[in-house]
Amino acid sequence: MTALLDINGLTIDIDRDSGPARVVDGIDLSILEGESLGIVGESGCGKSLTMLSLVGLLPNRIRATGGTAHFAGRELLRLSPAELRKIRGAQIGFIFQDPMTSLNPVMRIGDQIAEALIYQTGLDKPAAMAKAGDLLELVGIPSPRERLMAYPHELSGGMRQRVMIAIGLAGSPRLLIADEPTTALDVTIQAQIVDLVRDLKDRLGMSVVWITHDLALIAGLADRIAVLYAGTVVEDAPVDLIFERPTHPYTRGLLASLPTLTDRPMSRLPSIGGTPPEPGRRPAGCPFAPRCTLAVAACQTEVPRLRPVAGSDPRHRAACFVTAKEGAAA
Amino acid sequence: MILYILRRLLLWIPSVILVMLGVYALAFYGAGDPIKLIFLRAPGDVAYDPVKIEAIREQAGLNQPFLVQFGNYLLNLVQGNFGNSLFSGRSVWAMISAAAPVSFLLGLMAMIVTALVAIPLGMIAGMNQNSRIDYLILGSAVTLWAIPAYVAGPLLMVMLLAILPDGAVPYGWGGLFSVKIILPLIVLSFQPIALIIRQTRAAVIDVMTEDFVRTARAKGVPEHVVALRHILRPVLTPVVTQLGLIMITIVNGAIFVELVFGLPGLGRLTVQALINSDYPVILAVTLIGSFLVMASNLLVDLLYPVLDPRATDPKGARL
Amino acid sequence: MTAGPVITPTDDRPTSLWKDAWRRLRRNRLAVAGLAILMLLIFVAAFGPWLTPYDFLSQNLDARNLPPSLAHPFGTDDLGRDVLSRVIYGARTAFLVAVLVTAVALFIGVVLGAIAGFYGGRFDKALMWVTDMTMSVPQLLLVVVINASLKQPITLWMEARYMETMNPIYRNSAIIDFVLVFGSMALISWPPYARLVRAQVLSIRNRPYVTAARALGLTNRIILMRYILPNAVGPLIVAVSAGLGTAMVLESAFSFLGIGVNPPTPSWGNMISDGLRVWTNYPHLLLAPAAVLAIVTVAFNFLGDGLNDALNPKGQK
Repeated sequence: MTALLDINGLTIDIDRDSGPARVVDGIDLSILEGESLGIVGESGCGKSLTMLSLVGLLPNRIRATGGTAHFAGRELLRLSPAELRKIRGAQIGFIFQDPMTSLNPVMRIGDQIAEALIYQTGLDKPAAMAKAGDLLELVGIPSPRERLMAYPHELSGGMRQRVMIAIGLAGSPRLLIADEPTTALDVTIQAQIVDLVRDLKDRLGMSVVWITHDLALIAGLADRIAVLYAGTVVEDAPVDLIFERPTHPYTRGLLASLPTLTDRPMSRLPSIGGTPPEPGRRPAGCPFAPRCTLAVAACQTEVPRLRPVAGSDPRHRAACFVTAKEGAAA
Repeated sequence: MILYILRRLLLWIPSVILVMLGVYALAFYGAGDPIKLIFLRAPGDVAYDPVKIEAIREQAGLNQPFLVQFGNYLLNLVQGNFGNSLFSGRSVWAMISAAAPVSFLLGLMAMIVTALVAIPLGMIAGMNQNSRIDYLILGSAVTLWAIPAYVAGPLLMVMLLAILPDGAVPYGWGGLFSVKIILPLIVLSFQPIALIIRQTRAAVIDVMTEDFVRTARAKGVPEHVVALRHILRPVLTPVVTQLGLIMITIVNGAIFVELVFGLPGLGRLTVQALINSDYPVILAVTLIGSFLVMASNLLVDLLYPVLDPRATDPKGARL
Repeated sequence: MTAGPVITPTDDRPTSLWKDAWRRLRRNRLAVAGLAILMLLIFVAAFGPWLTPYDFLSQNLDARNLPPSLAHPFGTDDLGRDVLSRVIYGARTAFLVAVLVTAVALFIGVVLGAIAGFYGGRFDKALMWVTDMTMSVPQLLLVVVINASLKQPITLWMEARYMETMNPIYRNSAIIDFVLVFGSMALISWPPYARLVRAQVLSIRNRPYVTAARALGLTNRIILMRYILPNAVGPLIVAVSAGLGTAMVLESAFSFLGIGVNPPTPSWGNMISDGLRVWTNYPHLLLAPAAVLAIVTVAFNFLGDGLNDALNPKGQK
């Protein structure tokens, strides 16, 4: 299967008064048709920026400075704004984190969905409104026709996110990017949204990228998981392997810090000491080295690239000199 | 919705009366006795007869308690009677109704011009923040705001002197559509335009970083539609709340513009009344000015739910 | 899995709020230009009369209405007086009035606003009502009313004083005018300061460090003066710089209208109004004071904006 999306060596810089600071330093990611990829990492690791750069939605003063991103045979980073606009929504759809602020507070939700349809599929207003009603039904909102006239603040958080999903799906995109869509919601609603997206993905045959900082949540949805740290991919594997054989020290740290049912009560959760490097202050060598107990001399001077993990599935790669060589044995 | 309007009106009327009370009190206690005043101009005058003064005062009801006098004043007001000019004896109402149309037309046109010019410029500046055009627009706005009307007017006229043929200096009122209104209108609009440009620009900058603008772009909506539909509407809300301030600026500016360009409006009336210590006129004009300002504030209050549907909805949290 | 202590090196030059603000201000070239012009104004206002070769009052009827020349860089007016000297003296007037008015208004505003914000209650409600009222009436009209209202009582009072003491100073109409203008301006200028301080006090008094101070048993007065007010200084500075500019404009506006400083004392305002009468023939008489006033007010505004950006940096940068 050819990859639907293939990112290679993507770099993104922030323009500061003191000069550009690198925030994403060489990301390699790919996703196949119909696959769902989970991108995991802590705040500030560049996961959202990477995805936003694909459709030219990077905020002010942040630019993609290198690398390639092939999508369905086109090079996204070289496209003109007009061409990018045509891809947004129709080919690559987005769901954002906070539906309260991501929806226009003074526009009815029916209009907001219809807007997506009008500009992505060229429908006229009445047809778009009708289709909007269908979409609301698809995402599981009760009394969809009446809800079209509602304003965002009249809906609950979970419903608003379903509206966001409806908007994201409006143009039947081939790739849906969900940027922490459940972080702002209650735990019970989170599970519903995950089920909804998985269900829709199966029905519509889309590829899904699910960005989150919550490893446990993503386990139920993703086929593959990519772990990001400080703007690079440090581990990339099918979901089962990530949990069974975490290789990169950072991944291991993440998993170790997840509370489990078998933990002794009142025991302390292990945590990874230290903090990630700030943009513009990356250490030479592996970005995780300062916090890593397994670091050797080479880690301080050379940047490890993704390499297949010895003794594991060929799709399992980790960016570590120490652990990828030895496999899961270390 | 109707309830909201009614509630606002009910709160507004007493505040208007309070303001009027305050202004009236100032004139009343400060200016003191209008009758004595006329005679005070010539203390050694043979006509300065305390007994006669007292009689006139009694007749004019000037010995009654303050609130009663205020009440009478209000009653007269409602009937359109502002009293008579101390200086010329004419009915103040007649003087005002002759001068008001000029000022109102000028002010209204200034507001329209302001809206048409300043909002688009402010949006352009805000959406291209820190670019050269932004600095140009912003710099012009700061400069325009700083220069008061009575300075801008003369400066402009001096500059035009070089271009205009001899004797074509704009002076006097030629009606709404005469060419003579152009310069006063421009000068009067300078400060409101500057104010609105800055407000719009600041609001646009705020709104542009909002998540829902990003969502709109992610939906593939073209940039100009994003600007008009997603950015403009939220921007209009803070801009419209400035209506009261705009009104104040225009009323203040009109006084000078009318003076400089010789327009027979309320502003010039006020200045003349000031020079002549003509209290009834001064009081009347001040009350009208305050009323206009408060009416604009009321209008803004009433418009608010239209602009922002969350305002009347108790569930609408935010802001 | 605890690694050794990690130090992400940060910029550890010690800095304070003010140094930060000053640095930001320095980078704003327009604000710096404004500041420079204002320093020039202060210099001229202070030392002006010694700088001018001519006394601003001395008339030279042989040299009337002369256009700008080397001898008279701004020309002469219709009584042969040197315009440059008059403009310089006008700077002194403008500056003096602006500073005095702002100082008085600031004092009144801060005291009233702090009390209202801190103690609340009926005083607060009364203050809000008064400020609402003053701010709803267009300033010019309000000053006109105040001016007209105060003229009588003050004139009468001065007359009475004169009767008592036979001191000619009470007959000096220039002083009466000055006091009137000054008084009216101060009366309309304090409400914005009061509201600003009140708002600041309201927002600060619920902050944790104030609660901590209270828990320490400090008196209200100390809390107000040492903890709350110093933190309100930022917005106050911005307001003062804008207020100074506004006061200058107001003063010249009133002289322009004839109710402020009166001839022969030069004020930019009355120079402009005089110039308006004859500008078609002698444009320099209008241009000089108008241009100078425009430049100074623009400078004030640039500085005020710069201060605002420096003290309240907004997200974007």
